[in-house]
Amino acid sequence: MTDVLRLTAEETYASELEALLEDSGPRPTGWRLTPKAVLTYLLGGQAPGGAQVSPKYVGARRLMETAVATLATDRALLLMGVPGTAKSWVSEHLAAAISGDSTLLIQCTAGTDETQVRYGWNYAQLLAHGPSEEALVATPLMRAMREGALCRMEEFTRLGSDVQDTMITVLSEKVLPVPELGMALPARRGFNVIATANNRDKGVNELSSALKRRFNVVVLPLPASLDEEVGIVSRRVRELATGLDLPVPRGVEEQIKAVLTVFRELRSGATEDNKVTLKTPSGTLSTAEAIGTLVGGLSHAAWFADGQLGAEQLAASMVGAIVKDPVQDKAVLEEYLETVLKKRNAYSQYYGALNDAL
Amino acid sequence: MTVHYFPIRHHGPGSAASLVGALDELRPAAVLIEGPADAGELLPALASDQMKPPIALLCYKKDDPSLAAFWPFAEYSPEYQAALWALRNGAQAKFIDLPSAAAIGHDAEEAGRDEAGDDNEDGDDDGEPPGADQAGPETDGASGGRDAGRPLDPIGRLAEAAGYEDGESWWCDLLDQNPAPGPVFGAVAEAMGELRTDVELDPFEAKREAHMRLRVAEAARVADGPVAVVCGAWHVPALAAKVPAAADRKTLAGLPRVKSAVTWAPWAEARLASGTGYGAGVRAPGWNLHVWRTWGREESNAIWLTRIARLLRERGHDISPASLIEAERLALALAALRDRPRAGFEELREASVACLFGGDDLLWRLLEKELLLGDQVGEVPPDTEAAPLVKDVRRIQREVRLKPEAMERELALDLRSESGRKRSLLLHRLGALEVPWGELLDAGRSRGTFRENWRLRWEPEFTVALVERVVWGSDLEGAASAYLTHQMGRAGSLDALAQAVGDAVAAELSEAWTQGLRLLEAKAALTSDVGQLLAAVAPLAATVRYGQARQVDTEPLRALAERLAVEAALGLRHAARGLDDAAAGSLAAGLRGADQGLRLLEAGPETMAVWFAALEELVDDSAAAAFAAGCAGQLLYTAERVTPAQAVALLERRLSPGTEVAWAARFLEGFFTSQAARLIYDTPLRVAVDQWLRGISAEDFLGHLPLFRRVLSELDSMERKRLFEAVVRGSGPARLAGAVVLPADVWAAHLRAVAPLLAGAQEGGPDE
Repeated sequence: MTDVLRLTAEETYASELEALLEDSGPRPTGWRLTPKAVLTYLLGGQAPGGAQVSPKYVGARRLMETAVATLATDRALLLMGVPGTAKSWVSEHLAAAISGDSTLLIQCTAGTDETQVRYGWNYAQLLAHGPSEEALVATPLMRAMREGALCRMEEFTRLGSDVQDTMITVLSEKVLPVPELGMALPARRGFNVIATANNRDKGVNELSSALKRRFNVVVLPLPASLDEEVGIVSRRVRELATGLDLPVPRGVEEQIKAVLTVFRELRSGATEDNKVTLKTPSGTLSTAEAIGTLVGGLSHAAWFADGQLGAEQLAASMVGAIVKDPVQDKAVLEEYLETVLKKRNAYSQYYGALNDAL
Repeated sequence: MTVHYFPIRHHGPGSAASLVGALDELRPAAVLIEGPADAGELLPALASDQMKPPIALLCYKKDDPSLAAFWPFAEYSPEYQAALWALRNGAQAKFIDLPSAAAIGHDAEEAGRDEAGDDNEDGDDDGEPPGADQAGPETDGASGGRDAGRPLDPIGRLAEAAGYEDGESWWCDLLDQNPAPGPVFGAVAEAMGELRTDVELDPFEAKREAHMRLRVAEAARVADGPVAVVCGAWHVPALAAKVPAAADRKTLAGLPRVKSAVTWAPWAEARLASGTGYGAGVRAPGWNLHVWRTWGREESNAIWLTRIARLLRERGHDISPASLIEAERLALALAALRDRPRAGFEELREASVACLFGGDDLLWRLLEKELLLGDQVGEVPPDTEAAPLVKDVRRIQREVRLKPEAMERELALDLRSESGRKRSLLLHRLGALEVPWGELLDAGRSRGTFRENWRLRWEPEFTVALVERVVWGSDLEGAASAYLTHQMGRAGSLDALAQAVGDAVAAELSEAWTQGLRLLEAKAALTSDVGQLLAAVAPLAATVRYGQARQVDTEPLRALAERLAVEAALGLRHAARGLDDAAAGSLAAGLRGADQGLRLLEAGPETMAVWFAALEELVDDSAAAAFAAGCAGQLLYTAERVTPAQAVALLERRLSPGTEVAWAARFLEGFFTSQAARLIYDTPLRVAVDQWLRGISAEDFLGHLPLFRRVLSELDSMERKRLFEAVVRGSGPARLAGAVVLPADVWAAHLRAVAPLLAGAQEGGPDE
């Protein structure tokens, strides 16, 4: 047992990565595994020695193939998707499998400046000995270039545009210029960048076209079927509820299914039976939001409704998740209630509760 | 003489290219092709300069063209290339499959299938999910469609064995995209032999193969050189097998026979796609054409990517050549990762999505159709025998005794009689094909009645138009349905679509109208323009009513119309705000139209409740456009949702001094537009209006005079006189006193003011 709260991917799956090392195919310089072994690691399967490899990503194989093939060329990879589509998860496992190190990570925020992306200075050294390589403070990007490893940049679009553009030289010339020392640090083979970004957020910094051109983009989709999503959500809800000491009432699956049905129908713009087309609200209605809604409902149920979870407890959070734009989205929801939910007997409670909450 | 078998894939450009190479090498004396034996005479026409693929061999039952089978050929179809090779090299070209009559007869026998067999679902290249319309692959697929009816997918099994997820890709890699010519045909035949071992053969399949075997043996006997047999890969092991001729003849006994005719017809590239219901179709005709045209060229990937880039640039996306280079590199990396010899269709697709489309799958799907389906339509020489569609139209013309005449004449039809209905159907269906033989004279009025008045005039170019429409089907009903469905997919606005659905009902084209309904539903849901929603309610309602004279179930339309009204009602509040005069006018017109439509439909109480609630809200909304609010008030009053007392209260409130005069005047106009006669009969309303009019300042009154005039303009002089009388003396003693006495005072004052002026003018005049 370890007292570390969360182990990195390469630590958790060390044995699988070890087993996959045996794959004998050609591997790009600087890669620990062959591209095919990386795919097996992500999608699950059998290692050459016969050991089972658990799937890390459940979804379309071709997306993972595109991602791995991108990293095998010298193009950078941009993973996009709404919250809760496993972007960071995929990026961590790609780094763990390809470089054996998923910790070269820059968490991008509006406050991240160039010194956190390129390099900073150790001012004590700088004052004592003048500018020298020793006085440089290496960022994860710089270390990745030196070591020939993958650098992960999370929530890339939250970086200011000026800071984003410092990446152009790195991605196209594969060097990091240090004008203060009159030198440029060349990247070793095996270096590449995996960026993740949310494609539905507003108020973030779109990539400049010069930068966009240097990325191949893979969009990770939301779960394809209702059952798949119900599975993911109910697992996460139970985990979160346990962590928060919230009791999970019986029959919670039914409520999860109901909430997800509403979310999925509005998100996809069609009813599950694909008979009625609907308008979609401006929000993302991601799996992550469905989880948030349900945990909110559980909390409400536990503290104010004697542990009973039903439409009444969930309606307010559902409206909160659906109606992001008070005028437009409200009309969308109203229309959905009147043209779809009203006619479904099983949803009469939701129809009433959502109408009240509106 | 030796017989060489060439197992090909229908419409496989790779097969075609390898085949041409192999034929050049072999130089056979006879080329036998899988195709209806009785169409052999038509083969030489393929060499004509005026024959431009895609074309199809069209075979139909003489007395019922809706029973038809077709054998389409694209430029890259191995069968077509084989025939061309034979014609150009002086070899004998022959079709060896069962005669077309047997194929049609077989289809006719399959109970319940022949109805759906009119190969006309297609043409709709719009959002129909692939595989959704599987009706009639038998009739549809002739040469290869039959292959689809087999108990298993032989290609899929082979591909599975090779570790491919998708049979198509495997076949592509093996044949189409492996330009090295080699013993690939032998390998495929062998693999097919393995596959066929544990498959029970359909009796009809067995007959086809027996027939082909006999023909091959016959050709081998008489030919003075090698014989090449070009047929679907599946059949090769059976054709090569040694079976006594007597056994084959026995198998062939009892073939279904019908009287049939065969001809060439132009075909559309898009209809080759398997998504449009053609059994042996290919997934992407556009891609196949690309593979054929760039066969053996190194830059073929670059050409494909450039085509994508061009399409994207046309739509305003900036795609740099550098991105194309990156896309090709990624495609190559993907192919390597998948152990494929070359980057194929899928690799190029995924690479372009990642590099050119910014990962956006949706954008790809938008472009996909244009890229993959293609829009080419073939041509056949003018001296080709008349197309079955033309014949079918002639047959119906004879049947309903309606002669095509160039002289214009009028025709009145009673839809209650069988002959009237049939004639009307003929004219409506021709109309749906945009062959306007008849013009419906009172289109607007006749809805809902049993009488139609037409003006007929036949133009020679109608026949030409019909030949062009053969692509859509071989009989009138099928072609009209397919063509109308196609047009619906292109309709821009909701009401245009509603109109097309109405046309489909009038022509009793149930398939087209089911499809139209689906499109209408989808479009309605995505429309947030309340004006469009309202505008669509009225034509739908008219169709529902008109449908009563037709044998079409219009019940779903009623539900849709009600849903549209509900959607419009929910959005009304926002739609009525911030409008200028013109927009408010059209919204009010929409409201009136929709309201009338709902009454026509006798819409359910729930719908009406939502509708009236929205109108009530609109009337009370001071931020709404006054004209629309007034119109809502009028509709509520007409529907007796508002009592006379409430209406008066409403008018008083909306016309009270607190309201801006301009707004109030518009409200008034909205309330009384097309209902001005109410002012004559409805005393309380008139009093309310009168009081308001008297309360406003002279300046305001003059300012809005044109508007008041507009309201009253629809009254004729008689009505105006009665209104005047009603105002002047209709309303109690107090008003009477005022009305009569006041003018006298005014006249006195007037005279007093005018007299000095007149005098002054007279004095001043001469001076000037």
